[in-house]
Amino acid sequence: MIAPLIAFSLVGLIIFYVQNLVFFPYVHLRLLALLLFYVGLRPSLALTLALGLVLGCLQDSYATTPFGIHLGASLVLVAMARYFRRRLLLQQLGFQALASLVALVLQEVYLQLVTFMLNYQPLFPHDLTTVHAMEILGTAALGPLMHLLVQGVQDSLRRLGWRPRSDPMPYQPFGE
Amino acid sequence: MHHPGRYRTPLLLILTLLLVFTVLSLSLKSSPALRKVQGLVVSMTAPGLEGLEYVGRSAKQLWMGYFYLIGVRRQNAELQRQLEEYKQREVNFREAEQALTRLETLLDLKRQVALPVIGARVIAYDPTLWSRAAIINQGKAQGVKEGLPVLAPQGIVGRIVGIYPEYSKVMLIVDRKSSADAMVQRTRIRGMLKGKGGNRCSLEFVPKSADVQVGDLVLASGLVGLYPKGLVFGKVTAANKKNPGVFQEIEVSPNVDLSTLEEVLVVKVATLAFPEP
Repeated sequence: MIAPLIAFSLVGLIIFYVQNLVFFPYVHLRLLALLLFYVGLRPSLALTLALGLVLGCLQDSYATTPFGIHLGASLVLVAMARYFRRRLLLQQLGFQALASLVALVLQEVYLQLVTFMLNYQPLFPHDLTTVHAMEILGTAALGPLMHLLVQGVQDSLRRLGWRPRSDPMPYQPFGE
Repeated sequence: MHHPGRYRTPLLLILTLLLVFTVLSLSLKSSPALRKVQGLVVSMTAPGLEGLEYVGRSAKQLWMGYFYLIGVRRQNAELQRQLEEYKQREVNFREAEQALTRLETLLDLKRQVALPVIGARVIAYDPTLWSRAAIINQGKAQGVKEGLPVLAPQGIVGRIVGIYPEYSKVMLIVDRKSSADAMVQRTRIRGMLKGKGGNRCSLEFVPKSADVQVGDLVLASGLVGLYPKGLVFGKVTAANKKNPGVFQEIEVSPNVDLSTLEEVLVVKVATLAFPEP
């Protein structure tokens, strides 16, 4: 699990850098959340949880919201990814994007509720709701690209010799 | 017979949930351990951002200094023609420029004497919309302390809310946790300037009888001790007296573009001790 965790954490860090240096302040997208969701659709729960903690920690460290808010939000995404993976057996990219949209909406609801309960902001402030909605829609639309990225990272890891637990054991003839 | 991995998933989930809630509750109590974790994460990740930002800036300079010059030859002929025209005006401009330089030097000197500052570069922002914060490349080692105000040439940027060995976290004045005592320059009416997220603030607790108009400058009152008196927060962009209640709804836009900050000054003034909200 260590190799993919390091690889996906590095991908997350690069996405965070790109968001900071290229997109901010003109484009707001939840690319780290999308990355976590698509990694969550892969077999390993432990990897997804660990990645959620790493990415949540990274976001919390740069924010003024109480430490732990983004950690919790990551957990919501992991839960949603696992639910969709088990119940709906998502195979097509379109359905995956729709599922990511639902997960992002639920993550938004979680964040709104927690920040409201911590007296950080009013519940669904009308001035930012449209921006948040556009952010979520734009992020979900990038789902197929994120799928390709996650697949690419996993393929690269396989080429380097890493094999996920769910993969069948390679054939080894007897007597050799 | 139970499968050995049967309880693995629920156990993982319970442990993660416990971790998140523990972290959240520790965070609400401003735990020093969590601050250390934050400091560690920022110290590990911010150098990358700082380096990339430097590379980007250098590439931009290279582009502007060399490649961009290819197109300059065409413009040169046109500029030669314009140059003759502008030479006529040069004498007057030079006179004005010299006066301006003198005044600027005086102003800088006055500022330096009144407010000792530390220059800093903004190297990162919180890219989410949930808070408005920036990371600067000056920290504990350079004498930055929690609560110090941060300024840009156009006005107030925010205040330091987190210090790490080489970096600091600045809460911008538009952050929802930010609040400061402020006054309207024209009428000296006081109110509480609160961040509203996005790129706006609101001036609160101003009675409806008070005279506040669109375009009025909002300054730091200096009363609570967070920001030096007289520095500019922003301009009033909307004032509504038709809302229910006894106070006006006043919207203030910061004087500084808080999303494209590059260099800022951390003012080393004595600040009042205040608890973290």
